[in-house]
Amino acid sequence: MAEGQPVRAVRAGALLLRLMPHLGLLVLLLALWEYAIRSGSITSIMVPKPSAVIGAMVDLYIVKGTIWPHFRITLAEAVLGFAAGAAIAISLAVASALSDPFRRYVAPYAVVLNVTPGIALTPVIIAWFGFGMGSKIALAAVISFFPIFVNTLTGLSQRDADREELFRSLGATPRDVFLKLRVPAALPLLFAGMKIGLTTALIGAVVAEFAQATAGVGVLMNRFSFKLDMANSIASLLSMTLIGLMLFYAMEFLDDRVVFWRRDARMTAVSRARARAWRAGNGS
Amino acid sequence: MTAGADRAPALRRAATHAAIFLSLIAAWEVGAQAGWLDPLFFPAPSAILASFWRIYVVQMNIWPHLGVSLGLVFAGFAIGSILGVGLGAVVGLNALVRRFLQPYVIVMEATPRIAVAPLIIAAVGFGAQSKIAIIMLVCFFAPFINTLSGVVNVNEDRLQLFRSMGASKWQILRKLVLPDAVPVIMAGERLALTAALSGVLVAEFIQRDQGIGALILTYTRNLNMPSAFACIFTLTAIGFAIFKGMEILDRRVAFWTNEEGLRRVGLARAAAHATLAGGRHG
Repeated sequence: MAEGQPVRAVRAGALLLRLMPHLGLLVLLLALWEYAIRSGSITSIMVPKPSAVIGAMVDLYIVKGTIWPHFRITLAEAVLGFAAGAAIAISLAVASALSDPFRRYVAPYAVVLNVTPGIALTPVIIAWFGFGMGSKIALAAVISFFPIFVNTLTGLSQRDADREELFRSLGATPRDVFLKLRVPAALPLLFAGMKIGLTTALIGAVVAEFAQATAGVGVLMNRFSFKLDMANSIASLLSMTLIGLMLFYAMEFLDDRVVFWRRDARMTAVSRARARAWRAGNGS
Repeated sequence: MTAGADRAPALRRAATHAAIFLSLIAAWEVGAQAGWLDPLFFPAPSAILASFWRIYVVQMNIWPHLGVSLGLVFAGFAIGSILGVGLGAVVGLNALVRRFLQPYVIVMEATPRIAVAPLIIAAVGFGAQSKIAIIMLVCFFAPFINTLSGVVNVNEDRLQLFRSMGASKWQILRKLVLPDAVPVIMAGERLALTAALSGVLVAEFIQRDQGIGALILTYTRNLNMPSAFACIFTLTAIGFAIFKGMEILDRRVAFWTNEEGLRRVGLARAAAHATLAGGRHG
């Protein structure tokens, strides 16, 4: 622990040093862009000044705070839709992995669902579930279903004959084989599927908002761009990017926690913590 | 003998599939006819079939919409994916550009790409151009990213072998990097074409003028669910055709990834060689 702090500080310094050229380039590009508009080289109203976009961001987030209710709604739609889609996808994939007939007779329908562009269902889903959040959640669930389903099923279907024999020769029940061998082996692929699914769910929520909605970042952006208020439109677009990044890194974090054995550093940390817990348990 | 033995279970399986499918449809039809199923959610299969007949044969009103949408899909896909592969290769082969572009690629990956649709419509205006621009944009990323990673992930051992045998940069690119990248690039193209189909729908939902997306919107607004479903099942068929078509194209282009393609091209090359050699001798 004593040496942990300086190491971290050095690492942060190195990171900053590595980021410097990137930041420099970004600032340079933005400055060039700003200059091109101020000097009149670009006159289109379609291209706002970077300072105007930053101003719009500050306005939306801090001064007026108009974006917050929309931000929350879109985030909630994406997360709830993802949760519903993932729950259905994972249970169907587990059922398919456990039962051959189920897999044989249900999987083809999942494939048919996959080749249909889920987006095509937007108007129908809005007719079914109304203009509110329900239809956005439903569309997000529909289009995030397939990547999760297919990855979970692929993960659960990979069989390692050697390991299974080892498990059986040590007297493992089929239940043990499933829970302690096949499920852990499937987890990395499952998380990869969930990362795709989560981004897809956000797309579903936003598209449904474009089509018909009363609130959400998509609605906000649609309104701004119909008014040709490009600075605010781009600020709304950047907000969607922000939601996307938040969701992606949340899932990445979860992946890191749950599938700890794939990264050496996390593996060591977890095994140390377990050893400590074990020693403490034995000592008492 | 074995072929016959294999065929019996396959037949039985197909029969079970058909039985399950038909009983599902029958249950659906009975439920709809009896009024147990809300026609808004589950229009009767017979009504959907009747709609198919009406919009394809009697009124023929789906054809122009279908033509417009598919034309836009292929135009946007062609431009977007060529740009994607080209820029992906340029960026992938240049380490400096790659390092500085990477953060932007990550940010663009996290943005729901389709979300730029209203911006593009505002910038380009209503009509075909903005739709093509939207499709181009959604088609750009998958080929771009896949080409980039395909070009970057060169097998080190093979690279060393090529270098030690004195291969030039161009030879390494032409005979090592590209062949290894092609399957990955093709996978990107497949994703892009699927994305193009979604892209055209979103563009049409927003513009509400013509095309299959606008047609679905109109039918749904009139609560004509059987016709809306007929359009959606049409898209299922198109999606399936795209999926299969790209699979076949993939096997043709990246012929060395499968046994059959390797044999086909090998035979053709041998034949070409034989005629060439024969011509020289004779």
